Amino acid sequence: MEIRVKCRCGEDECSEWAIVELQGVVETQASFEGSIQNLEIGRLCHTESSQETYTFTVGYHELIGSKVTLKKPLLVLKKLQLDEDSGKGTELEVVGIIRTKILFKTRPKPLISGNNLSLSLFCS
Amino acid sequence: MEESGIVGGAEAVINLKAGSSLPISYHPSFGPHDDLLLLEADDKLVQDIFHQRVTLRGLPDEDAVLCTKSKTFAIKFVGNSNSMFLIPPSSNNHQLVSVLKIAAGNMELVEVSPRLDKLKQLLLANPFGAAEVDAMMDVDDDGLDHNNGNRGSELYSWSDLVNTVQASDEELSIGLQSLSAVEIDGYWRVIDENYLDMILRMLLHNCVLKDWSFDDLDEDEVVNSLVADEFPSKLASHCLRVFGSRVNGTERWKLEPRLVCLHFARQILREEKMKLESFMEEWKKKIPDGMEGRFEMLEGEVLTETIGIETRVYTFSVRSLPSTPEERFAILFKHRSKWEWKDLEPYLRDLHVPRLSMESLLLKYTRRAQPKADAPPVFSAR
Repeated sequence: MEIRVKCRCGEDECSEWAIVELQGVVETQASFEGSIQNLEIGRLCHTESSQETYTFTVGYHELIGSKVTLKKPLLVLKKLQLDEDSGKGTELEVVGIIRTKILFKTRPKPLISGNNLSLSLFCS
Repeated sequence: MEESGIVGGAEAVINLKAGSSLPISYHPSFGPHDDLLLLEADDKLVQDIFHQRVTLRGLPDEDAVLCTKSKTFAIKFVGNSNSMFLIPPSSNNHQLVSVLKIAAGNMELVEVSPRLDKLKQLLLANPFGAAEVDAMMDVDDDGLDHNNGNRGSELYSWSDLVNTVQASDEELSIGLQSLSAVEIDGYWRVIDENYLDMILRMLLHNCVLKDWSFDDLDEDEVVNSLVADEFPSKLASHCLRVFGSRVNGTERWKLEPRLVCLHFARQILREEKMKLESFMEEWKKKIPDGMEGRFEMLEGEVLTETIGIETRVYTFSVRSLPSTPEERFAILFKHRSKWEWKDLEPYLRDLHVPRLSMESLLLKYTRRAQPKADAPPVFSAR
């Protein structure tokens, strides 16, 4: 079986995606009910003081991190099933490329005040 | 701190100015999105992918490999215990910065050797021989299609091979070439050695008859004379490619003494073990005048063993050995527990493993012993 990796966009027009990477997982509070879709996770801030530093505030916690250019880009591929029944005719299409991520590798710092109670951050 | 005011997905994150901030939320269609995959690729490969020169190959029961025009890569999934929030670019109906999926990791590529043993196995199962040639010549006269009958399932076109064998196009071409395969009626075939022997002997006969030099053969003349002897022209010119090489950029051919002599050695030995003296005698008889058979020509094709005062020679062809180092060394050491380098080297020469040199292969799979300081090293299984 041969699956062609297709690309309709070409390099210049390939849309760029981004990654925000952090240690651990973001979870909703036990009391939270409802749909996670559209829910605000937190606020990303590029600090004034330093070109390099970013913060990400999630619930009561603040993360400190930086923007990283990936040594090797990541391509975002989408698997397309052309014929559902036979399982044949799978295609992969490039839908984007990721060259940059904002990486938060430190453990979160608790903030004293905060009003976004629907989410909190757990570190593994 | 100023609200960035930028609407628009990933680009807003990437271009976020110092002193600005923006909210990140879950996308309206946030979910597992198992159909979205991340593939790490270096710049060269990214170019290949953008130009649609990349395919995934493998049967449903195999781990897929990724092939560019010239290379084959294994695909490894690398998990990441961090949360990777995947943020798509903005779209017309959704302009906030939002997370579509949390990726559990990404795929990485590791260059590997093409899986060409399967190609060999497929093609050698059904070589093209004299019986088929007769059938082909008969039907050719009435112009009917001769692709019917019992042919079909065991024959492989280029696209069948691409769908079956895990190798890039270039590697597959090289594999076909090293098997001396030829495309006949759209199917890739290896030619039965006995049939090839008939063509070669006729070709050599014609050289003598027409006073042609082995080093300067005209392709058309050679092929026409063989066609007159009722060989198909396709196979006649294939014979030149198997036993000869093109003279620098011309349409003329030179027979390679090593290939011709080797062929006759294989014809004599077959499955037998022969006394070295009787083999050499018979071999010399078979080799055409004007060529000289030297034992070194048979490197990687025959081995000798000495029992008492008698040395015997037998076929042990590198072409019949598997191409993965692990299997290759296992068979070599099963065949013979200790190898001198000069005997061993011809059986390793064609092993190319990405990122591993011959030295490291030897370290990994053999034990090296040197009985005396000035003695040649001897290799045994690890």
